[in-house]
Amino acid sequence: MVEGAPQLLVDIEQSGFAAFVRQSPWFYAAANVVHILGLAIFFAAIAIMDVRLLGGLAACVPGDIVFPARRVAIGALLVQIASGLVLFAAEASHVALNPVFQIKLVLIAIALANVALVTAAMRPSMREQAGFRLPSLVRVGAIASLVLWLAVAAAGRLIAYL
Amino acid sequence: MNAGIVVSAAIVAAVLAPSGVSAHHGWGSYDAANPLTIEGVIETSKFENPHATITVRANDKVWTVTLAPTSRMLARGASAEMIAVGANIKAYGYASRAEKDEMRAERITAGDKTIEMR
Repeated sequence: MVEGAPQLLVDIEQSGFAAFVRQSPWFYAAANVVHILGLAIFFAAIAIMDVRLLGGLAACVPGDIVFPARRVAIGALLVQIASGLVLFAAEASHVALNPVFQIKLVLIAIALANVALVTAAMRPSMREQAGFRLPSLVRVGAIASLVLWLAVAAAGRLIAYL
Repeated sequence: MNAGIVVSAAIVAAVLAPSGVSAHHGWGSYDAANPLTIEGVIETSKFENPHATITVRANDKVWTVTLAPTSRMLARGASAEMIAVGANIKAYGYASRAEKDEMRAERITAGDKTIEMR
């Protein structure tokens, strides 16, 4: 526990669940494994969406790629939140005060705002025919998406080293 | 989406929280150029993830010694009993450059048993 940490974080860290996570020989490791597998699936879904938005896989109607991939991405994001909360709970006061973790949260917020922006901007184009080139705002958003989610992953990995 | 609410709440918490805390993970923040060996009685012991930790009353001071993840310790034969409070232990490792009186053990010896932590 970090001295002077906000009470909420201390409460989380001292909860029975957090103690179980720390004391189980396998649960913490399992949450770590799930978190990296969830990331792989999440980013795969994000990448295939962004590739279509950028003009790759042009033989497909945009929505035929974006909509199924988005369902996978949302499912994987829920897995990331669940496994992430497990990892967070075990060391809540340390992790919350870690600067890289704070940067990671800000990056996630920006990435989610970008999702909202791109979702709105691409909506009219989803039923366009194969070969349709999406508006430049959507393509810029797709590049931002790839960069932001990779930065989120990098920040996540760095939490343990700073 | 729920994720947005969770993330927003976490950001608020992060922004309100004071910063300036150093973590103790990885090997980069330890002074590997100057290894040291400490020996003494274990005063507190946490057989917990992400790393087991003990405090040891050595000659000069009480050291906080960061060990290995519990699954790795168990796989190598270092049980919670090996690092129980009151046991005598020798730890070879490196002092932290970030946290005072903390070291990370490369290996520990209790009785005739030496266990690698890396």
